Amino acid sequence: MPITYYKLPNGLRVILSPDSTAPTVVTAVYYRIGFRVEPQDRTGFAHLFEHMMFQGSRNLGKMEFIRLVQENGGVLNGSTRFDFTNYFELLPSNKLETALWAEADRMKGLAITGENLENQQGVVINEVKSAIHNEPYGGFPWLWMPQYANSNWYNSHNFYGELKDIEAATLADVQAFFKTYYAPNNAALAIVGDFDPGEAQAMIAKYFSGIAPAELPPTPDIGEPRQEEEKIATRPDPLANRPALAFAYHMPPRNSPEYFAMGLLDQMLVQGDDSLLYQELVKKRGYTGDIGGAINELGNMFDYDGPMLYTVSLFHDASVPPAQIMAAVDTVVESLQSQPVAQNLLDRSITKMRSRLYDTMTEFGGFGRADLMACYALFDDDPSRIDSLETEFRKVTPQLIQSTAREYLRKTNRTVLLIDPGAPAAIEEVLQ
Amino acid sequence: MNALPTFAGPKETPPQGPPPKPFHLPATTDFVLPNGMQATIVPYGTVPKTAVRAFVAAGAIHESAGQIWLSKLNAALMKEGTRTRSSEQIAREAAEMGGQIEIQSGSHYTSVGGVVLSDFAPKFVALLADVVAAASLPSSELPRLQADLLRDLSIDRSQPGSLARERFLKTLFPDHPYGRVYPSESNLQGYTIEDVQSFYANNFHAVRTHLYVAGKLEGDLRGAIEAAFSDWPRGTAAPELPAYPAQARSLQLIDRKGAPQSNLLIGVPVAPPSSPDFVKLEVMNALLGGSFVSRITTNIREQKGYTYSPISQIGTRMHLAYWLQSADVTTAVTGPSLKEIFYEIDRLRQHPPSAGELTGIQNYLAGLFILRNTISPDAIIAQLHFVDAQGLDRSYLSGYVQKVMEVKPADMQAMADTYLIPSKMTIVVVGDQAQIADQITPYQ
Repeated sequence: MPITYYKLPNGLRVILSPDSTAPTVVTAVYYRIGFRVEPQDRTGFAHLFEHMMFQGSRNLGKMEFIRLVQENGGVLNGSTRFDFTNYFELLPSNKLETALWAEADRMKGLAITGENLENQQGVVINEVKSAIHNEPYGGFPWLWMPQYANSNWYNSHNFYGELKDIEAATLADVQAFFKTYYAPNNAALAIVGDFDPGEAQAMIAKYFSGIAPAELPPTPDIGEPRQEEEKIATRPDPLANRPALAFAYHMPPRNSPEYFAMGLLDQMLVQGDDSLLYQELVKKRGYTGDIGGAINELGNMFDYDGPMLYTVSLFHDASVPPAQIMAAVDTVVESLQSQPVAQNLLDRSITKMRSRLYDTMTEFGGFGRADLMACYALFDDDPSRIDSLETEFRKVTPQLIQSTAREYLRKTNRTVLLIDPGAPAAIEEVLQ
Repeated sequence: MNALPTFAGPKETPPQGPPPKPFHLPATTDFVLPNGMQATIVPYGTVPKTAVRAFVAAGAIHESAGQIWLSKLNAALMKEGTRTRSSEQIAREAAEMGGQIEIQSGSHYTSVGGVVLSDFAPKFVALLADVVAAASLPSSELPRLQADLLRDLSIDRSQPGSLARERFLKTLFPDHPYGRVYPSESNLQGYTIEDVQSFYANNFHAVRTHLYVAGKLEGDLRGAIEAAFSDWPRGTAAPELPAYPAQARSLQLIDRKGAPQSNLLIGVPVAPPSSPDFVKLEVMNALLGGSFVSRITTNIREQKGYTYSPISQIGTRMHLAYWLQSADVTTAVTGPSLKEIFYEIDRLRQHPPSAGELTGIQNYLAGLFILRNTISPDAIIAQLHFVDAQGLDRSYLSGYVQKVMEVKPADMQAMADTYLIPSKMTIVVVGDQAQIADQITPYQ
């Protein structure tokens, strides 16, 4: 599919990818500010701030942004991730200009009150309670694993936020964060769907070119040291009633040959019921009913820019000790380290990856494609990278799989997280 | 406090854009095999992926009272091999086509299918036919799969949302399989291979099956379907088991000591999908609690901050439907949340919405209809399966947007007044009894 990529004079990166399959269009704005680098005394602030972007701007009061999208027949969302915060709308294709106008309006500035902030603090605290505090296995493993496996604060703090930090946020914090990070030269705008690129360029110039750039702060050092010893952590969960186990490895640097090899190792080890760990742990040994795994549990292996974990997780019974499960994992991993992988297994992993790439690109009406293009524009200044992914995976050899497994699937590059269940045996019920 | 920053002058009006492009549902090819199996093929998109799913009328309603989750156990065991393939062979073959065999059992249907690279879709049809029609159901795998389901059961029942849902359905459908959500551990452990084999033999029949294919179409799919499924015996049609949901006010509390939130469910039966009221009810639902700008969400989330993701929906079962509002709210505002939800219900029962509010909701549902029919091959299949399973004419889909746009403000009030009768509502609260008992007492 064709891609047009350019920058406005104010630094906004624009990526256009027309596709007339359906009369719909995705408009996605990505700001290069994720929870990794949020202020150290304000855990969870990047996410709280995301909520504030729906609370009012110059021409759109509280609820009006959402109402505008909804009454034009569309859906929208925002998410805060490791290295970006995104906002997107999926609308009937004739409403592209409406979406561009609205996104430009909030890129220009927020118009919010203390009441709006207090309201969203309440909403976000409820979000964290629903996802974490009131839910068995809440945050397992996606929120907890980075806190144990990483050693640099930027990668290992509580991204969802301590409730006291969420409560402490002020309007001044909101203003400072907006001014620092929400500028066109720190953002990418991706459009995917049924539209005319020439018309889109004119609309983008009209609505976005007048927005002033900001001086961006220096990037902090988010690097992780090489892990030299296996870590094992146990976390009590008073709401859970069965043990759970996760293990994670630090990933190779993004876009390196080893990185692409890890993508295929994930396909071989965990993805699909033909995978090696599924066959070993589920089918052969019966330790668990299913296993999950991901490079970047809050997205995919392409939409981040920094240290990352490859995490695998499962639920099991108390009768099977974690050491027994990890011993079974080790036999499978050692089989990939001791010799080059069989060509047919490598071929199958490439087929699975190719199939999955199509799913990623078409996810949610083209949002998946916008996500990758925006990330490659922000992180690599090259959104056309999405067209070379399959080629990069095809370059991986059995020897590279072996050497990557030896260095990155090392036990000493691994953190094991155990959930110790402490739920009461029975739940009392009262009928009124 | 002051707003920041301050802007002067009048607000701009959003640009409206040109008129919408026409949207037409893709034409389907529908046919019936001599053994009674139905098939539907839908061309969609340019990305080389194809979804293939068979829906077999074999679900929870075909279990007896002591057999809860037998359909789930059958679904798990069906992945364990066929007369000619081991489970590992099935998994490898599907993976070589870029997909896997996915089997899920629901209240009426077990779906067996997957999404594969389009080139392989005809070959996948053959693999699917083997799994659907020639499952070997090996007894050797039964204990392991039972242990897996026991673990799932235990984890499910530790989740407050699952407990609330179980109680709600049990209350709404006291004497029907719809109300039997979880088995006892001892029942589940007691299921034998003969139980599973009879469930499979009694329910997996050609005449009870509808196969859907959607996506980019490659090769002779119709020929592949006919070749793969024609030998499957016809069997017998699925029995009907009508349900009559309870329409009585009740308030039920499930105690969860120390819970920081209360999980609320408030529901009541409404008109079934075949009723002329059904689309009106969908519009009413989107306006009242079923969309982000809906009244209940605006009130308890965006005005009061009591909750994160309140949502209402029209849930369906065969030939029936119910309205259901859910919200996880901070414990201390459990009572006030109920108060605001009932306030919004009553307000709609008493006054029609403005034309502007309704138009916004109608446009939303019209846009959503396009998204539902374009977002993925599986979304297209879900739409068609809903219409076919409910016995509706396919024109339900082609006429849907028009029906949505014809709804009047008075219809909204009439729907709420006719169906959302507080004295007929089931209320379930999962929360800390010590903190919330007094708060919820007024809602008995």
